[in-house]
Amino acid sequence: MARPQSVWGCSLASVIVMLGATVLSQSAAAQLAQSQSRNGGGGTSSSGQQAVDPGVRSGTSSAGGPLPGLSQAQLNFFNAAQTRFEEVDTVSSGLGPRFNLNSCSGCHAQPSTGGSSPPTNPEVAVATLMGAHNVVPPFVTANGPIREARFIRNPDGTPDGGVHDLFVISGRSDASGCNIQQPNFAAAIAANNIIYRIPTPLFGLGLVENTSDLALENAFAANAHQKRSLGISGNFNHSGNTGNITRFGWKAQNPSLLVFSGEAYNVEMGVTNDAFPNKRETNPGCQYNSLPEDTTNLTNTTSSGSPASDYSSDIVNFAAFMRMLAPPTPGSSGTPAVAQASSLTSTASSTTASTQSSSSTTAASTQVASADNTSVLSVAAGNSSSSAAATVSASSAASITRGQQVFANIGCQGCHVINQTTGYSELGPAQTNVTFQPLSDFALHDMGSGLADGVSQGSSTGRQFRSAPLWGVGQRVFFLHDGRTNDLNVAIREHESSGSEANSVVRNYYMLSVSDRQALLNYLRSL
Amino acid sequence: MRQALYLCAACVLGLFVGLAAWQRGAATFIRGAPSHALSNPEDGGIANGSYTNKYFGLSYRPPQGWIEGEAGADPSDSGYYVLTTLIPDSELDATILVAAQDMFFGSDTRASLSATTHDFQQAVSSIDGMTIDRATTEVKIGGHPFFRVDYSGVGLFRGAISTEIRCHVVSFNLTAREPALLERLAESLNDLSFAAPGLEPSPPPCVKDYAIDDNVLRKVVPVPAEPKFTSIPVRIIVGADGSVKHVHVIRATADQRHNIEEALYQWKLKPYQVGGRPSPIETGLVFKFTSDK
Repeated sequence: MARPQSVWGCSLASVIVMLGATVLSQSAAAQLAQSQSRNGGGGTSSSGQQAVDPGVRSGTSSAGGPLPGLSQAQLNFFNAAQTRFEEVDTVSSGLGPRFNLNSCSGCHAQPSTGGSSPPTNPEVAVATLMGAHNVVPPFVTANGPIREARFIRNPDGTPDGGVHDLFVISGRSDASGCNIQQPNFAAAIAANNIIYRIPTPLFGLGLVENTSDLALENAFAANAHQKRSLGISGNFNHSGNTGNITRFGWKAQNPSLLVFSGEAYNVEMGVTNDAFPNKRETNPGCQYNSLPEDTTNLTNTTSSGSPASDYSSDIVNFAAFMRMLAPPTPGSSGTPAVAQASSLTSTASSTTASTQSSSSTTAASTQVASADNTSVLSVAAGNSSSSAAATVSASSAASITRGQQVFANIGCQGCHVINQTTGYSELGPAQTNVTFQPLSDFALHDMGSGLADGVSQGSSTGRQFRSAPLWGVGQRVFFLHDGRTNDLNVAIREHESSGSEANSVVRNYYMLSVSDRQALLNYLRSL
Repeated sequence: MRQALYLCAACVLGLFVGLAAWQRGAATFIRGAPSHALSNPEDGGIANGSYTNKYFGLSYRPPQGWIEGEAGADPSDSGYYVLTTLIPDSELDATILVAAQDMFFGSDTRASLSATTHDFQQAVSSIDGMTIDRATTEVKIGGHPFFRVDYSGVGLFRGAISTEIRCHVVSFNLTAREPALLERLAESLNDLSFAAPGLEPSPPPCVKDYAIDDNVLRKVVPVPAEPKFTSIPVRIIVGADGSVKHVHVIRATADQRHNIEEALYQWKLKPYQVGGRPSPIETGLVFKFTSDK
């Protein structure tokens, strides 16, 4: 369907550019102090020194462009698909009756389109957009993460786990006659029956999709010995229909980018589509369109320059955008993300604002072909060539290099597996036999009672989560599935709790010297 | 070869498990059933200052002032157990992780403890910045053969000291900030006891891949239960008469566990022979419920 252009989305992007610095300060300091006391000063040396999260890496966005090596037709498709991804929906184009936000790019925004939650939460503004009279739930704040809510149990005590959208279209000028109410979040909070999730970044997911089950299993098995010395096990989630390894989403519950797109379009925005053709809210007074609202276009009314895009449904475009989206570029090659260990009394973070680049249409290839025809995509991105990044000092580079060694030695790579390799791809050389660095095994691991959300999806338990890919973490604002922290120190600490596979690794972290802990944080912020 | 172990119960359930339903599926994996008369590997615990595990028949008293740390994860679908973690109750300058890997399961399990330990040494030596401080060495602790590997990197000194019990690799993984502290932890293992109070008398021999093919005289296929395509490792003890005396479903949902136990207790196997006489044995098998369109 034709969509109104993204006026709201563009203004949002402008706001995001301005507000990166305001997020990490008091809350991070408080959380970090809590971390120190719980671990017996684990983050602190005897001299009072502590490792600090350098904060969101400054400089231009290191992500958001297309894969290097795409053909012109593929690039045209990518660009047109990105435009679809950034469109803002209204009720006439399918929004609602229940929804969390009105565009894909509104949630997937940091550090650029396709990313994760931006520093300023657009959910606050959309609550009352076009006359809607939604109440913003208390777990959504202006400078907090974008969140979706799930209820753990149904009223009868059986497992729920489904998304309960934050907002309704009631009151909007384009939804006359609809009078449904928001879920009773206050009751859910009082009953401790609600959990939250933030948007997952989408960069590089085409490479992930094109990695075979066997390749994932081999990478998973390759470090089995180290894992067993650390209390780490894990297992893959599988499609209940085909048995294939599922790999997208916080619990690796989705098998493909197309399913991922279709489900999110329906669940997060309310737009019915060819994969999920029915409204979840069936109140007759709130139905406005024939279904599904997003489907194949039989005539080309867009003329974007990519007929493939023009005729395809939105979800096909969304999947194509993600499939051709390059992975983030590590900052060590251009932008420093380094802090010195500081005293315990100092502010926990020295975060600076991240700047959001406009989307690029030019693929700057840094792909290197090796003798065995296996490409090594070490620093691939489409929009990094114009980066005015500062030069990394020798000491900073050394710290990042040391941090990478720490990452491997203490066992982070047990789950956050550095390298994966794609198979043959219909997209051609851009995605064929590419070794990439997602820093994830895409398997499920028990994260213990501290991170448990009580929601099972597929074979994942209420305590299991997929190893979050750490590529691009240097420019992420919020961490963990519910965005509970913006401080890497706290995120590491939260990996430790009863039943967690990460307990030994976290203890190793706290036994490191302050300089090595700092090196690890610097390395992570370089990603 | 492992494929032969898998008893894939064909699951001709409804084909209408839509994609959305998959998103909403519920799975809660639980530890071994508590009603078993015989102990299981995960049943150990700290009592009177010592870690005691009746299944493995060992007891270990950690250094003075040490306490149990946060529990590890539940047993895995490859038969891996975090038995206990031990930490000092003051400054965190060392840790002990006691773990076990069932040698019947796991994609990379080897036939011998020696080979497993050499594999481990090879694996850690390939990590950037890691140094092997003591190559794989056989040592005796409490009269049992152990293999020890020491390695270090980024200021942490570690030792992996492993032995084989009931076809499990039981390992003590020591980590310390100082080499001397690592050595003191290693010395504390000299107090390991293999005659723990309440130890099961004469555990049966463990035999890999026994519950397959012609050895199974009567087989009842478990009723499939969600979620599908998960590996469900099971250890069983077979009596001298060939009946199943004990079932330990290592990792499964409650429904899967119930259905597998219900089926396996109806199995009948050829009695295993030791010295020409029927003998009870312990063996393992893997279930996987699959879709069959």
